Amino acid sequence: MTAIELRGVTKEFGDVTAVRDLDLTVEDGEVYGFLGPNGAGKSTTIDMLLDLVRPTAGTVRVLGADVATDGVDVRRRTGVLPDGFSVYDRLSGRKHVEFAVESKEAADDPDALLARVGLADAADRAAGEYSKGMRQRLALAMALVDDPDLLVLDEPSSGLDPAGAKEMREIVRAEAERGATVFFSSHILEQVDAVCDRVGILRDGELVAEDSVEGLREAVGGEETLDVAAAGADDEAMAAVRALDGVSGVTRDGDELVVNCDSDAKTEVIAALEDAGVAVADFHTREASLEDLFLAYTEGDAATRDAGAAASAPTEGEPTDDATDDDSASEEVDR
Amino acid sequence: MSLVAIARKDFQETVRSRGMIALVVLFSLLVAAFAFAVRPTAESEQFATEVLLSVFIGPFLVTTLVPLVGVVVGYNAVSGERESGSLKLLLSLPHSRADVVFGKVVGRGAALALAVFAGFLLPALVLIAAPVVFNGGAFLGYTVFAAALGVVFVSIAVGFSAASSTQRRALIGGVAIYVLFVLLWGAVTGRLVGAAGPLVDALPVSATQLRVFLRVSNPTTAVEALSNAFLGEQLFSGETANRQLSAAAMLVFWTLAPPLAGLLKFDADDL
Repeated sequence: MTAIELRGVTKEFGDVTAVRDLDLTVEDGEVYGFLGPNGAGKSTTIDMLLDLVRPTAGTVRVLGADVATDGVDVRRRTGVLPDGFSVYDRLSGRKHVEFAVESKEAADDPDALLARVGLADAADRAAGEYSKGMRQRLALAMALVDDPDLLVLDEPSSGLDPAGAKEMREIVRAEAERGATVFFSSHILEQVDAVCDRVGILRDGELVAEDSVEGLREAVGGEETLDVAAAGADDEAMAAVRALDGVSGVTRDGDELVVNCDSDAKTEVIAALEDAGVAVADFHTREASLEDLFLAYTEGDAATRDAGAAASAPTEGEPTDDATDDDSASEEVDR
Repeated sequence: MSLVAIARKDFQETVRSRGMIALVVLFSLLVAAFAFAVRPTAESEQFATEVLLSVFIGPFLVTTLVPLVGVVVGYNAVSGERESGSLKLLLSLPHSRADVVFGKVVGRGAALALAVFAGFLLPALVLIAAPVVFNGGAFLGYTVFAAALGVVFVSIAVGFSAASSTQRRALIGGVAIYVLFVLLWGAVTGRLVGAAGPLVDALPVSATQLRVFLRVSNPTTAVEALSNAFLGEQLFSGETANRQLSAAAMLVFWTLAPPLAGLLKFDADDL
């Protein structure tokens, strides 16, 4: 079954087009990271999944049902951590979770849920006294009520400290292992990399890329940085490396050579050094950072390069790419 | 079920509201003070609960303060959650927007009714202590009418709140509701009937009938008519029976129509 299916969805607010002809498919059981800079249309898209905002054109189906007509049924099976929400200041944390349990006609124990998100000690305090991070945890506890089939998390780590963000990732992972589909938006890439099966990048209301994180890395990064621990390398050896095809630069950094090259030129670099009589003690590649990757898609031309492919075949690249991606990813060799 | 969940949540929230508690304490003190001030002296032994309620407390306190509490309780019901963002939390759960609007009418209406009963407790004690013929039945019955009046105003204010996209508009609406129904109804409707004179002549009703209809159309006068009939032991009987019936019908109308109208707008909005 398909957990989320958007077809030709456009949303206009007056003159502003927040989302433009968006096609998006998230399969059952998938963990999907929805990325994009602020203002790209992520929250509008999520609001349309929840029927808070109605699309100007197109259809939104969640868990097999049209949210325009069956929104209540959809939300009965969905857990949501909204962005920019506020709590009921005068009600305690436990009352909030009890309200969610009653609303979903579920049988969960509110205290167990509060303990799971680390709020057991604050259960009886009025939520108005909670910090931003605690409010975020409270909303997560409400979202987890009744083991939802789909979790929609809008910027789940906002307001959380690094430890809290890690706990959030662990909960996302546990929910995914239980079999839930997780759809979450973020502008922080490190979190996406750690938990997502697949990511989509939204820019100006359009999906500019959609793939596994490694797949995206491949598409953007022809170039990698190779650090070679080779204390004995002289100018001659460096010149030999520089002369190779696919090598764009060589610099010396103490005992290390830093080589900028195409990812498939790595072996030749090592071979050239050894031919020049240099002992290579160790080498490893540094990938383009996720930050670079993200910027390439949201600002650079990678976006335009990939846009056609993503729009015409929105579900591509999910299963087949993974195997090859893993091989080229984060290679580290000791010799 | 979903409506009940929202009603319960809103009830719990409203009874914890400092603003409402303050208003109820004020109301209670004023009614008690009134009861004490106009308590009968030894010479007028026949002064009774009914007279105190229908002549003094009714027109001066209940029809002015209870609608005020109702508007205060209701005006931010939906728009307040919309502006703060807690509505996102609410609508992330399996509630329809109709559940939200009517759940709030029920929850906040119940909170207000409880507040009115609480507010009449202290005056009841004063009356029991005072050398007055205390008629518990009449007093309790009157409290029910006062609570009903409050609930109607909660309903009108919640309806307006649902239709307002901002708190500011809802506040303006709440003030307008209060001014129109409590302070200016007679003047405004009188003007209207006067201005529409030729039109009224064409209708198959007399100007007097129209005036009577407009009088009972106002929830405060409708409740006044009903409560006075009740205190005179003529509820839905006697020569004003028809007028009482239309007053009761208008109260039902004002309880249901504003939330429905507000829901129409709320349901169509992007939130």
